[in-house]
Amino acid sequence: MTTETATAAAGSKAAGKGKRKYVVGTRRQLDAAELAATGLRDRWYPIYPSRFVGTGDMVKVKRLGVDWLLFRDATGQIRMLEDRCPHRSAPLSVGQHLGDRVACKYHGVQVDGQGTVVSVPGMPGCALEGRTVTASLAVAEGADTIFAFVPLTEDSEVTGFKLPDRLDNPEISWFSNYAEWISPWRYYMDNVLDPMHGAFLHRDSHSMFGGDTSARFRIRETDRGFFFEKTDQRGKNFDWVEFCRESMDYVDLEIPYAESAGPGGSFGIVGMSTPIDENTSAVFHWRTRTVSDWERDVWRFMYKATLEEKHWAVLEQDRELLEALAADADRGEHLYQHDLGVARIRRVHEADAQKQAAILLDGSA
Amino acid sequence: MLEQYLEANQSRVGPPHPYEQKLAGALTEIFASGTHELPAIITGLNNLGLNAPDGQPWDEARFRSEMRRLGE
Ligand code: FES
Ligand SMILES: [Fe+2]
Repeated sequence: MTTETATAAAGSKAAGKGKRKYVVGTRRQLDAAELAATGLRDRWYPIYPSRFVGTGDMVKVKRLGVDWLLFRDATGQIRMLEDRCPHRSAPLSVGQHLGDRVACKYHGVQVDGQGTVVSVPGMPGCALEGRTVTASLAVAEGADTIFAFVPLTEDSEVTGFKLPDRLDNPEISWFSNYAEWISPWRYYMDNVLDPMHGAFLHRDSHSMFGGDTSARFRIRETDRGFFFEKTDQRGKNFDWVEFCRESMDYVDLEIPYAESAGPGGSFGIVGMSTPIDENTSAVFHWRTRTVSDWERDVWRFMYKATLEEKHWAVLEQDRELLEALAADADRGEHLYQHDLGVARIRRVHEADAQKQAAILLDGSA
Repeated sequence: MLEQYLEANQSRVGPPHPYEQKLAGALTEIFASGTHELPAIITGLNNLGLNAPDGQPWDEARFRSEMRRLGE
């Protein structure tokens, strides 16, 4: 048997007339500040490298403050469920993988990849059977990565998934990189919208030793976001970044390689950060190069043999700096002209947070 | 607390083979001098006294096929 309490607690439709809307996976409303801290919803996010979830694996991950279960079913399809049994909320991740479904360890309830209860072994015929009460997310895999659409409410409409252009072009070769930073996701965004740090923080690096240490910047609108770029230097350091808002928010940028990196010119970066919780982030980068034929093979060999470690050293400079920032580092700052990109991205995300909080308050929105 | 995933090498499995390290080191040296053309790279490898995997001097076919294997 099942009760209304059990239904509401399972995160499905909130009962009652006002039709209060809860954030998927939280069983409550979040205000704008909480949404901004744990991650804006209604968009696709990279979740985890594909290689970490083999067929038959069950992996628990926290994203946007919610515990999720990733499992790859017997056909190789990745599934993502809230890591919470619809019965009495035991984590499904400690249960058993049964091919196309998982069985809860506590009382054996079986949930399939869509979050539907397919069996209640302790009470066959129970009304819980056949009900879809576990949150499941739309997922996509590409560029070596598992992506998911993280909805605001159960009424959210899933938008189409699209990889960033740079990762979906046969002329461009890439490698993915994954890291976990003990730093809020908003610091990641601020950092990548701030190219000027390249000439200082990364002065001692394989790629950002050149160019001026002063510059003037401008913002230039594009059809998918905006460029934040130096007006007086290009192709010498981290001189521009494009913030792109497609099915995901990401940054796209290029940085010159030293001659020692071989033929092929600059490398590109696609960067994204997914909140784990308000204090930690899953950081995804793809390092790309427009190379073909033997030049492509040479770059891929050199990347694996030596360049990847040099890229990593640069990323560690970012991580160490961001992890050292105080929790209120973005209060009481004194911004100057180089920080226009930072100010802009903060306004974009603040507006998103306000909008999403309003949807939760106003059930009809 | 999060067990932090921080792994410098994600594109290859295990440490690089000493032969690969030596070859990458030689190529880094050649590239650093501004040499990015195929014939000059091959001359550079031979001048550094490195041989192709079959023990012969490098030529274009050997270089292309070895890079294809290593860069797959
Ligand atoms: S809590 Fe999962 S079956 Fe009871
Ligand atoms: Fe950086």
